[in-house]
Formats: sequence, C-alpha cells, structure tokens
Amino acid sequence: MNISRRFAPWILLAPFLATFAVFFVYPVFQSLLLACRQTFGNTASAWVGLDNFSRLAVDPMFWKAVANTFVFTLGSVFIQLPLALLLAILLQSPGIRGRGFYRLALFSPAMVGIPFSATMFAVIFEKRTGVLNQVLHRVVGFDLDYSWLQEHVMWALIVAALWMYTGFNMVFFSAALQNVRRDVAEAAIIDGAGPWNRFLHVTLPAIRPVAGFVVLLSVIGSFQLFELPWLMLNSTAGPDNRGLTVVMYLYQVGFETGNLGHASAVGWVLTVILAALAAVQRWSARGEEMGT
Amino acid sequence: MSSSPSTHAGSRWTPESLLPISAWMVLLLAVASSFAVALWPSRPTSGRVMWTFAKPLFERYVPIIDRWNQSSTPKVDLRMLGLVPLERRMLASFMSGTPSADLIEVERRVAARAFAGPVDSVGFLDLTEEMRKRGLLEILNPPSLSPWTSRGRIFGLPHDVHPVMLGYRADLVEAAGIDVSQIHTWDDLARVMAPLMADKDGDGQPDRYLINMWDNHEDHLELLLLQAGGAYFDENERPVIDSPQNAHVLAKVVSWCHGPDRIAADAPDFMASGNKLKADGYVVCTFMPDWMCDVWKHELPSLAGKIKLMPLPAWSPTGRRTSVWGGTMLGIPRTAARSQADVDELMTFAEHLYISLDLARELYRAGGIITPVRPHWSDPVFDEPDPYFCGQSPGRMYINMAPHVPPRTASPYNVFAKMRVMDALVKLSAEAKQTKTWDLAALEAIAIRHLRSAQRQVEAQLDSNVFLRKDGAGG
Repeated sequence: MNISRRFAPWILLAPFLATFAVFFVYPVFQSLLLACRQTFGNTASAWVGLDNFSRLAVDPMFWKAVANTFVFTLGSVFIQLPLALLLAILLQSPGIRGRGFYRLALFSPAMVGIPFSATMFAVIFEKRTGVLNQVLHRVVGFDLDYSWLQEHVMWALIVAALWMYTGFNMVFFSAALQNVRRDVAEAAIIDGAGPWNRFLHVTLPAIRPVAGFVVLLSVIGSFQLFELPWLMLNSTAGPDNRGLTVVMYLYQVGFETGNLGHASAVGWVLTVILAALAAVQRWSARGEEMGT
Repeated sequence: MSSSPSTHAGSRWTPESLLPISAWMVLLLAVASSFAVALWPSRPTSGRVMWTFAKPLFERYVPIIDRWNQSSTPKVDLRMLGLVPLERRMLASFMSGTPSADLIEVERRVAARAFAGPVDSVGFLDLTEEMRKRGLLEILNPPSLSPWTSRGRIFGLPHDVHPVMLGYRADLVEAAGIDVSQIHTWDDLARVMAPLMADKDGDGQPDRYLINMWDNHEDHLELLLLQAGGAYFDENERPVIDSPQNAHVLAKVVSWCHGPDRIAADAPDFMASGNKLKADGYVVCTFMPDWMCDVWKHELPSLAGKIKLMPLPAWSPTGRRTSVWGGTMLGIPRTAARSQADVDELMTFAEHLYISLDLARELYRAGGIITPVRPHWSDPVFDEPDPYFCGQSPGRMYINMAPHVPPRTASPYNVFAKMRVMDALVKLSAEAKQTKTWDLAALEAIAIRHLRSAQRQVEAQLDSNVFLRKDGAGG
C-alpha cells in the first residue's frame, strides 16, 4: 500500500514526463547540436562548430530581418497596445450602451484566423482593384497603381496586425481595469486630480502587472511573426526583403536553401532574445511586487 | 468473535490498493486510444503507390492506371496529396531514409530541393542509364530534361515542355487594324501596338497597357531572362547573375513598368481582380505557357473567341521566340527501388504512363499541355482548331516552339538566386524612379551594379557550403 502510494505520483506523471522528454528535452538538445552543424540536402551533414552563429553576425539578410521584426514589434507595442488600452477605458466608462456588442465586435477579428485576415488585407492593399486605392482615388484622385505592399510593407503588416489583435489585447486591459479601486479613484477626484492625472497615478499603477504581461505577449508574438507576411506577400519576403522577419528568414535558410543547421542557429538566437526580454519583464514585475 | 473479510483492509485486493483510481483512468485512456489508433480503418495499399499533387493530373491518370491494373503488374495505387504535404512527406522520407511512395510526381521548385546535397544522397533514383537503355533520351525533348538534371545525372521523367507564347486580345488588336506579323522583337511590339494605349476616356492615363507584367513578378522575370539567354546559374551550377543579358532584361523591364515608355500593367493571374482587368481589356498581351490556356478557358470564359496566340517577341531580330514557365516530373525514390527488378518494374510503369500516346492526347485535350515525347508531336490531336483561340491550333503552335525552349538548371539555390535577382530589380526600379533615369544604357549600368551585389550574395552562400567546397558544384 505504502509502496504503491509512493510510486503513484511518478506513475501519474510518467506520461507527461515521457512526452516532455521525447518531444521537448530531446529536440531542444538535438537542435543545439544541429546549430553547430551544416546540412545540405537529405543526409549530408558536417560539424562546423560556431560558424553558423558567426555567419549570422555578418549576414545582411539576417540583420534586415531583425530590423524589420523590431519595426513590427515597436508598431505593436507603441500603437496597438495604447489603442487597446484606450478602447478598454472607453468601454469601461459609464453610460456606454451596447458595451457587450462593442467588445464582441472589437474582439471578433482575433477569432477569424491569420489566413483570412492576411487574404483580406492583401485584397484591401491590392493596387488598382484594392479597396484602399479605389476609395483614395475617388476621394482625392490617388494613383490607382500605387502598391502599398511594395512601398510600405511593414506599415501594411502593422495595420493588419492592428485590426487582428487590438481587440484581443483590449480584453486583457478590460479585465485589468476591474482591479482599479473605486475608492482610490474617487479620492483622487475629491483631491482635484484631472482625468490624465487619475489615469497616470491611479489607473496605470493598478494595471501595470497586466500591462507588463500584455507587452511581453505582444513582443513574443511579434518576434514570431511569420504567417501574416508570408500570406500577404504571396509566400515571399516582399520586394527587397522589406517584409522579411526573423522566423521567415529561419524558414528560408532551413527549408528553401536546405541548411537546417543555420536555421537552428537562427532559432537559438531568437530564443536568447525572447528569453532576455522575458527576464527583463520578470525583473520589472518583481520590482513592482516589492514596491507594493 | 469472527470479523467479516471486509474489515480486514489488508487482506482484500481492490484496484485502488495498487493504483489510485485516477491512475487507472489514465491507463485506461492510454490503452483505449492505442487500440483506437491500431484499429482505425486505413486505406489498404495494393501494389505500388504513386503520389501526385494536381487534381487535373490525377483525373487524367485514373483511367490509364485502371486499364494498366486490369492487365499488367505491378498494380499501382494512385493517390493525390496537396503540394505542400507531398513536399513535406517526401523530404521527411528522404532525410530519414524511410519509405514513402514508389513513384512521386513533383513540380520543379520542390524537385530542386530534393536534388540538394552530394549526388549519392539525392532522394530520387538516378534514371540516366535506365532512360538511355530504354531509348527515352532519343525521344524526349532535350530542353525538357534540364530541370530534372543535376550534375549531369537525370533524376526524373519529364511530364511536359511548357513553352511560352504571347496571348493577345485579338478583338482589340484587329479592331485597331494592327498586323501582328510585323512584330518580331519586344521593341516592335511597343511600336506596332502603341495605338492601343491611347487615352480615349480623357483621364490622363492610357486606357490599356500592352503587356501584363510587373517588376515584382518573379516567374515573368525568369521567363524573360531565360528567353534572352540569361540565367541564374550556368550548366555547372555556378552563379552567372551579373551577366549583360540579365542586366539588359532588368533594365528593359523597369522601362516597361515605369517612366515615359511604360507599356506594362499588373493584372495578376489566378486572382479575381486580375481576371477582371483582363476581361476589361486593361492589358492586351499576357505570357501564356501551354498550361495557362486551360486556366483561361475556365477563369475567363467571356474571352472565348477574343484571344489569339503568337510567338513571344524576341530580344533581338534573330533571337529566341519562346521561353518556359513551370514543369513537372515523375521520380522514383531510392527507398522504393531496392533491386534491379524494382527499378525495371517501376520504370516500365512510369514509361507506360508518361510516354503513352493516350496520356499525351488526354493531357492536351483536357489541359492544353503538350507532351515532351517528340514522336507524338505529329499526332493530329495537336492540329485541332480551338474556338477559344479564334480557331487557331494552339497545340501545333506550342509544338513548333518546344525544341527552342531554353534549358534550365536544377540548382538547390535557384530560389535563393531568384530572390536576389528580384531584389536587384526592385532596387533598380526604386533608383530609376528616384533619379528619373529612363535611358536604357544608364539603367543597364545601374542594373549591373545591383546584379553584382546579388551575385556576391549567392556566391557567399555557395562558398559557405562546406560540401560544395569539398567536391565542386553540388558536391
């Protein structure tokens, strides 16, 4: 009886541990080894040490991918999240009728999936027949042949992501706004604080842990950007790699030029970047917890 | 006083005494799901398995394979997979050395990836000697073998030729009194068809443009480069990107798409928006490989009787009047051919399917695709007039072009090189627009500069490949 009780947790954990070891620990270990090899074709593989990492350091395409990804990330953090917070605050304010409907309407783009959104925005940004050019042409005589997906790739992607994820992030902020203490807010009003000061000194500190989490999610999601540009740009990185992201670059070197080792090195660099960002977020969250 | 057995907790065995009930549930679920997977009905495999990726091809093959299965061996089980799953499963099988299908039909982009690595690690069987032994090299159109040839070895049977002609709006051209027989070069086309670009509606823009293409369309650019004698790689798979021919084509494409001599507009293929522009007559001429004829018939039925074909205008008065776009092959994975008997069996079937006159006729009638088997070119089916093309015989016109199709390479770096050349084109366009440079010689000078940069990037990729360093191009 005692023995069976002693082993029961391990038996219960065994399926998870086995799965975790086979599908996570082993692949991670293998991918680390793979990052130190060069592959070519189906079976050819050679040990190259840290060459894949040193090549990345001088590869202009990799740095272009990093720069594009940073631009998209900045767009997500500094445009999408403030807009999401603003919408959450607006929908929180008293006297709004049909609050549930607006929340659903704003959240619904997150439910339709990336392929649908990407196709829709590719059609919107299409030159000549695209909705945007048609409207601009009729209103201000804009050039119908202007190609948004050629001239402003990253902006087009940021706008598409804005439509998809602003409502999604708004839900997090709406939940966080429930934590703002009414008595503190009322005290601030009595003390003569205006809306901006109340937001800065009452609302923002109350939602900061959730905001930090949303920023982290947004940054991780931005760094993993692949499907949206891949579908909007017709399975390419766009003209002159203007839509190339880090994950897209990983895919290209791994599956188009067939060097899985180099792709694995890209994956590890991405992992280190994301781990560092997560560590910064945890560190700042700990500071807040200690301060409260 | 005797006590009942139930009061002796240690003497009666219950499942809970061995494991908690939750652990039993986990075990039960594991066993049940294992049985479910094991007993799940799967489609039985009989004989050899062949994968294809295109529904029209699948539909053409079914009756031919049914007839084969009634009278011959091995029995063949044809299956259709999407192109992406097919590619994934094929490459996974090649990488792991595990069996997949016995015959795999793939298109050019996918096949080039399978050809990467040293020759003896290519996942497809080297068919060169088998094809020579069976006399196939003599009857197949030579340029049609080039996409499936890597380092001098042939890894697949060609399915098609895919010559490119120019499809034009005969209704518009003839109404304007234009005689297309005067057109021999691209410059002739711009000159002779110029009246069609008049601005009759007075909006300050031409009512229509002469060529359907744009500077971001990689397939259009590749077919023009090949037609002009340019390429990404030479026959030894070394990059030749910064060639004068490539620079000339890039410069010309930029002058077609932008600036005062613009004659091109973008009406994308396979898209409703592009089809509307074509139907409206916004573009007059479109690149038409043989397979595109069938696409137009299905997607643009309103243009029946309004389209005609003509050879591509050449880059010089004596230049090539065609090019090539696309391609499919049938290969035998190494894992499927463990003995010479296997090779014989599979090659016999592959030859029956691909070399048969039945299939050649069927592919042409149903898909507009001409066969690479030269003895079949004299078949009357290719002379049948087609009402969609104003009674022309597209089959005969494409066959006349077939021997002149430019050869291509099967480098695994094709996609990478193509993208770098596209980057060069985009940079050239941007620079031309910024500096308002439209003179062809000046554009060519800028093009060479950007193509050299592209060449260096491709060379850097090749040089960093330790396998190419060891034993020459391709390992």
